[in-house]
Amino acid sequence: MHAHGHLLVFCTTLIIFVGVLTLVRSRRIGERFALLWMALAVLLLLASSIGYPYLFSIAQFVGVPYPPSALFFFAIVGQTLLILELFVWISKLNDRTRVLTQQLALLREKFERELV
Amino acid sequence: MPRVLVIVPAYNEAGSLPQVLGELTTLYPQYDVVVINDASRDSTAEVVRSTGVRLVTLPCNLGIGGAMQTGFSLARDEGYDIAVQVDGDGQHPASQVDVLVEIICRTGCDIAIGSRFITGEGYQSTALRRLGIRVFSATLSAFTHTRITDPTSGFRALSRRAIHLLAREYAEDYPEVEAIVVAHRAGLCIREVPVQMSARSAGISSIRALHSIGYIFKVSLSIVMCSIRQRTVLP
Repeated sequence: MHAHGHLLVFCTTLIIFVGVLTLVRSRRIGERFALLWMALAVLLLLASSIGYPYLFSIAQFVGVPYPPSALFFFAIVGQTLLILELFVWISKLNDRTRVLTQQLALLREKFERELV
Repeated sequence: MPRVLVIVPAYNEAGSLPQVLGELTTLYPQYDVVVINDASRDSTAEVVRSTGVRLVTLPCNLGIGGAMQTGFSLARDEGYDIAVQVDGDGQHPASQVDVLVEIICRTGCDIAIGSRFITGEGYQSTALRRLGIRVFSATLSAFTHTRITDPTSGFRALSRRAIHLLAREYAEDYPEVEAIVVAHRAGLCIREVPVQMSARSAGISSIRALHSIGYIFKVSLSIVMCSIRQRTVLP
């Protein structure tokens, strides 16, 4: 990759890093995900700066002849894991909302009955 | 005498509820009745209030599963011995509620399901739905080795053990069929009783004809998923 291509990659990851940092600082990313996203942002930043020359040797090490493919592979696996984590979390939230809705309805009925 | 709670889930059933509730309260003065209003957008709540029947209104729509589970939680918390589900659309014969209750009392079984296919009398549903029910029946017997002719029937009575189990675990979208798997895996006894149902007297079914094929697929899949899930064990 040419020097300005490398610069583009680095700048993009830097923007992501700053963005994540801002969101974590302003607590718009909850505690559960803050650590994960910080780790991800740092990893991206490292990979696009000092880790960059090693990407090719890593690709060779895992036996993928075309380095960008290796990069895509890792990226997609990472994204899939992240989405899976989100689905687990959504399911949990859904369960909690359901229980809360039911309990709220039952308590309200009890409350109204005692008022009469 | 066992304490019985009749749970009537209702979503936009203002048209059919007066008759359903009227029959239930005149036939069974000894049973308690509660309507779970699943955030209806019509006058369901007012209609129920005017009849004097106990009413629990959910603040947002949870679907039939979430609504029934609310009723099971109520039955569990207030110590009822038997809970009976009677749909608010008028398909379930109020006159046969005591048949279900009696089966639970007499046989000691945990779930009594009213089946419209044992004698083949009364409303038999549409051909497509009967096909779907056949598929579920076959899938169920393959995965749980139980023979249930009418697994989608919501007309059922539950023992105290079943109430406790289903208050804890009840599916959201297609709960009737899944509940059979959950109950079977928890070691509960399930029994079918012949009943005669009628076509709904008013309102619209939550399962539309166009979606029936998708419904058949999803429910069959949910039976499989439910069979591989970790089982819920009663304390």
